[in-house]
Amino acid sequence: MTERIRVGLVSFAHVHAPALANTLSALEQIEFTGIHDDDEARGRAASSAHRTRWHPTLDGLLGSSDAIVIASNNVDHRRYTEAAAKARVHVLCEKPLATTTADAKAMIDACRSAGVQLGTAFPVRSSPAVMALKAAVAAGSLGLIRAVRATNPGQYPGSWFGDRRQAGGGAAMDHTVHAADAIRWLTGDEFSRVQAELGSFIYGLDVEDCGVMTCDLEGGAFASIDCSWSRPQTFPTWGGVTLHVVGEKGTVDVDVFRQALTHYDDTTGRTRLLGWGDDLTARMVAGFVDAIRAGRPVPISGEDGLRALEVAIAGYRSAETKRPVAISDIRA
Amino acid sequence: MPLRIGVLGTGFAGSMHAHSALAIDGARVVAVAAVPLDDATALANECGARVATAEEICAADDIDLVVVATPTYLHAEHAIAAARAGKHVFCEKPLARTLADAEAMVRAADEARVTLAVGHVVRFFPEYRQAKELLDAGKLGRPAIVTMTRGNFAVGSARGWYLDEDKSGGVVLDLMLHDLDTVRWWFGEPSRIYARRFKGNEGLEYALATIRYDERPIVQIEASWAEHSGFRTGFELRGDRGMLVHDSRAASPIALQSPSGPAGPAMMATPTLHETPYLVQLRDLFARIARGEQPLVDGHEGLRSLALGLAVIRSADTGEVVSWKVPA
Repeated sequence: MTERIRVGLVSFAHVHAPALANTLSALEQIEFTGIHDDDEARGRAASSAHRTRWHPTLDGLLGSSDAIVIASNNVDHRRYTEAAAKARVHVLCEKPLATTTADAKAMIDACRSAGVQLGTAFPVRSSPAVMALKAAVAAGSLGLIRAVRATNPGQYPGSWFGDRRQAGGGAAMDHTVHAADAIRWLTGDEFSRVQAELGSFIYGLDVEDCGVMTCDLEGGAFASIDCSWSRPQTFPTWGGVTLHVVGEKGTVDVDVFRQALTHYDDTTGRTRLLGWGDDLTARMVAGFVDAIRAGRPVPISGEDGLRALEVAIAGYRSAETKRPVAISDIRA
Repeated sequence: MPLRIGVLGTGFAGSMHAHSALAIDGARVVAVAAVPLDDATALANECGARVATAEEICAADDIDLVVVATPTYLHAEHAIAAARAGKHVFCEKPLARTLADAEAMVRAADEARVTLAVGHVVRFFPEYRQAKELLDAGKLGRPAIVTMTRGNFAVGSARGWYLDEDKSGGVVLDLMLHDLDTVRWWFGEPSRIYARRFKGNEGLEYALATIRYDERPIVQIEASWAEHSGFRTGFELRGDRGMLVHDSRAASPIALQSPSGPAGPAMMATPTLHETPYLVQLRDLFARIARGEQPLVDGHEGLRSLALGLAVIRSADTGEVVSWKVPA
């Protein structure tokens, strides 16, 4: 076995950070080099909770790492990525890759010129159900795919997720990209046009908490994405990801997080779903680091992150103009 | 004197309405029509009724109400003939295939001073009624985002006229119209519509529509003739104080399996309600007619829901957002 790859974690701002830290601790091919966070108290607490090193400076973490995972708020993705590229450190970045396509492109360019790889954190591709669906689509078992109805509704995550300056938007920025990436990956097709209805209806935020995007794909199929923070606080789990795929020869329903025990808990007065399915974060991170170690392209690239982000950006423009928006128009 | 009924059409709807009428005190099915005429024999025998042509039923002296359960594109012809002959009309949804037809039907009924009722039966389904009551009572807070779904196998594979867009309006006027009528019933008139749909081989058809209200909510409706395991409905109704979820697949109180496969209905009846919503719908209509009241869903209301369905089709065909204007 070759040497372990040294991976650090930048920021504990994102709700996925604890799962990422657990994964960096657990995977045997990884040496977890520690955590840096602009918020020192948060970073120190996380480092101690995960029994890893606290790095007071970003440069300190970058200097001792081959790769970093970025779990900051969305608007900081670019500066962390550019710093990593400058230090010749590979990057696995939380989604959305950035809050503007310009930032995403700058990140891709920075990594390319530095000769490091940029990956986007889309764990849905690691779901065995989604992988089985991908295989069935690729084998032609479903015939031509004509429509996909995807949903990624969740509870409102709180903290900076509802702050436009840190998140770049609301539910549509948070949740569009998972489904958009899954649809691209499954169909092997690209989005061409997006219509969106967004609204701030539930939490009194100045960003949207409800949204439905309806999209055309270049190959002629269409797809919709429900990106709402629509799950009530009493919902038994954080949310979910579903795909309803309609092919000429078959229809498939995927509910990525369906594998769960129902826990009726008298001690809290709550009912919770306790997932027992595969750890998608671990598989996603393993896929990234294994590619880096083998010198292969990472399975989910910065380009993939950009393509998914374009759908969200086009959706915002559509909601604003009340018209469908061509993806080519937001590239111009 | 009992309400004397003539039934036009012996498909799912005609047969359902005839059997429902049989169970209602004060109603009697006296004639059944089908094309070809022989197709009416079985249902007529079950109802103790005579077989007659649609024209004969519309003209008959001993009929008070005509159930129009013929293919969609024939509704206008039959409903107008019945109304002009002074008969009340209960017309299956969609009211008609075109707005012009629907307007002519409404006009004919108004001029003849007969009742024209439209079979938007979802308004009689208890799960949808209960949702409406909770909404109206404010239990969900203000509505935020709503998703509705309705699917069936490719019905056109069994009944060819469904495959002809000009005769049926496809999955939008067949299935989605139920949910379009429901959102009007629940939330009133929307502001704009965006929709996509495809038609595949062997009756496959699938549509998604987003219905936007001026302020709130956003509604997404899915209608599918690609639900190969059979009929299903569902909705999620999220208000700012809570959410209601309905999934017909999770709501069956009885499930049967046998070594020889899903032979359920042949082995035992699988009722899920003592009275079907179809029966409740007809009983309500007959009672209103007896009291001289308007039906719950009259021709004007059916016309507005049809117009919303046509707007969905227009958006799907053009790929543009369509502004909703309530027909006058």
